[in-house]
Amino acid sequence: METLRILHMYPNMLDLYGDSGNMELLAYRLKMRGYSSVKDDYTLGDGAKTDFSSYDLIYLGGGADFEQQLLAEDLLSCRDKIASAHKSGVFMLMICGGYQLMGQYYKDSNDKKIPGLGLFDYYTVASTNKRERCIGNIVIETDFCGEKYKVIGFENHGGMTDNVRTPFGRVLFGNGNKFGSESEGYTEKNVIATYLHGPLLAKNPKLADKILTYCLSRKAGREVTLPPLDDTLEKKCREVMLKRLLEEKKKK
Amino acid sequence: MFIINFFTILLGKIISGLLHLFGRNAGNLPGLVLWTLNKNCLKAFKIDCPIIAVTGTNGKTSVTNFIAEMFKKTGAKIITNPEGNNLDTGITSLLLNHCSMTGKVKADYLILETDESHVPVVYSKLKLETLVVLNFFRDQLDRNGEVETLILKVNKFCETFEGNLILNGDDPNVARLGLANPNNPNVKYFSVEKYKYATDTLHEAGEGRFCPRCGTALRYDYYQYSHIGRFACPKCGYGKVSPFVKFTDIDLEKPSFTVDGEEYVTANATIYYMYNLCAVFAAAKLYGIDKKIVRKTFRSFKVNNGRMEQFEYKGSKLMLNLAKNPVGANMTVRMVNECEEEKELLFVLNDNLADGYDVSWIWDINFSTFRNVSRVVTSGRRAYDIAVRIKCSGYDAAKIVVRPDLDDAVKELFSTTGRKFAVANYTAVQPTRAAIKRFIGGEGSSNGNA
Repeated sequence: METLRILHMYPNMLDLYGDSGNMELLAYRLKMRGYSSVKDDYTLGDGAKTDFSSYDLIYLGGGADFEQQLLAEDLLSCRDKIASAHKSGVFMLMICGGYQLMGQYYKDSNDKKIPGLGLFDYYTVASTNKRERCIGNIVIETDFCGEKYKVIGFENHGGMTDNVRTPFGRVLFGNGNKFGSESEGYTEKNVIATYLHGPLLAKNPKLADKILTYCLSRKAGREVTLPPLDDTLEKKCREVMLKRLLEEKKKK
Repeated sequence: MFIINFFTILLGKIISGLLHLFGRNAGNLPGLVLWTLNKNCLKAFKIDCPIIAVTGTNGKTSVTNFIAEMFKKTGAKIITNPEGNNLDTGITSLLLNHCSMTGKVKADYLILETDESHVPVVYSKLKLETLVVLNFFRDQLDRNGEVETLILKVNKFCETFEGNLILNGDDPNVARLGLANPNNPNVKYFSVEKYKYATDTLHEAGEGRFCPRCGTALRYDYYQYSHIGRFACPKCGYGKVSPFVKFTDIDLEKPSFTVDGEEYVTANATIYYMYNLCAVFAAAKLYGIDKKIVRKTFRSFKVNNGRMEQFEYKGSKLMLNLAKNPVGANMTVRMVNECEEEKELLFVLNDNLADGYDVSWIWDINFSTFRNVSRVVTSGRRAYDIAVRIKCSGYDAAKIVVRPDLDDAVKELFSTTGRKFAVANYTAVQPTRAAIKRFIGGEGSSNGNA
């Protein structure tokens, strides 16, 4: 069986509420199927020794403005290597701050412009009024899984992201890329960038499996099918939240 | 000014009186009305006695109750908010209930639990003598914003504060407040010696990994829990404090600790509890409270109210603990693990406004360390979320029972005998207490009849 190699970037800086849970979830779902995974932590200054393209998945969580500033320069120094990893098909999963930093730039709530990696065309501007934030439960519908799938999470961001050509999903409940936006996140075949915390994969096992299938198939050079897991608890959890949120919306 | 103050108090008294008349709780509303009408309403009160405020993310209610209890035992007249109500409006309501028509508050000490973000608001208007700061953890990010923002608010207040500042010297987020006003000679630190289960690496999600003075990554000799431990900045030396109070020889079996060469026995045993007592001891030492009173309070006083509250049903012991953020929950998981025998856990998770709507924080709880936990029951509005979380930490899904209804959950928990623990978050803790009492009381009386 293959061992999936995961690079968790800045785990001690980009680790707002629960985002590291995505790592735990991927490892769990692999382990339950007899696959193993290795997670390497990337910390400030590791750029020169890190071979980004040798990984199957690169992960960036969300962080506070302060941390994002601290790491921006370091991240930029890895630009070319990360760009070629992306080009070669390494899967890139990015949440909130990680999502923003991969775009053209991020202008934070102190009006400070942090240059992004420029991997993608979108850019993000945060209101200087720190209270103006998109906060709350969110449900989107994505085609990423090869069929329509509702993704449930929690958004908490001041940054408004614009110029997104291929969004991750359509907003059914909540805000998305901007206040009252119709679209949420950004996606390519090997990219998911999103504002969804929760963590993202907790209530969306199909999404987790889709990502894993992609990584394992790419590694094996053939189509890999994952045996199903007992997701009874996850299904109930989704049921309860979808019912609550989508009915809440109808009432409004 | 006098006239305005007079009418402020009069109006407040009338609202408060009316609420009492109709049997309503006057915990917050009178204060809310006064604040809406007059931003300076706190200035209408005449307070001559010292004010001691307790703030921090976790442990405020317990520490406030402990300090108040000790002062009461000295015979002093105390006004305190033992049930929380720790915002500007709650404190205003409290003072309204205890003042004369001229606004005079008669007491020997005011001991006030105060919400972190309200410290500057309240104590820019009332003269504060002593501020006790316990810790700063991530807590309800969707409501409070980032921890750093909160620390900066309190820090700004400390820049001009000249009273006693009692700080947790083992929390880098708190100790930094001691640097805020270099002209304040009244900064005092408390610290707890390394205990049995301290670790070399960070075990649970923590905050404040960088030196607040120079930005260098802090180095730790050990971590007690979360980011609390013996830290120092390798570059500028931040963190090297000489404590005013230091607990040593932490013994979780007895349980006991030693301070100033004397041993004290305590009613509960967790490292988190020891830190609370350490803060209490520092206040007692500062105010010269008789050691006999301190000893007696530590040995027997219990806050209860869902804070390490003990219940018993047919020989099965249950301990309920409030946990409103990852650190609080991790502490309870620690407590569960440090109990050697086999046990069951009830976890009640709500997502009401006062809890924060975001339950992502449960993924910062470290369940992978579970030892001898034979079954988990989950309940609350987010019963399934916490069930999924525990399952994905590697715990056998077959041992998880989901009972969203609290009465069902308590019944399920007591369907077996043996040691039990219960964790409930903020809005869940009182309903959980009530459900436990209902169950024990109901069953108890039916047993009595039989």
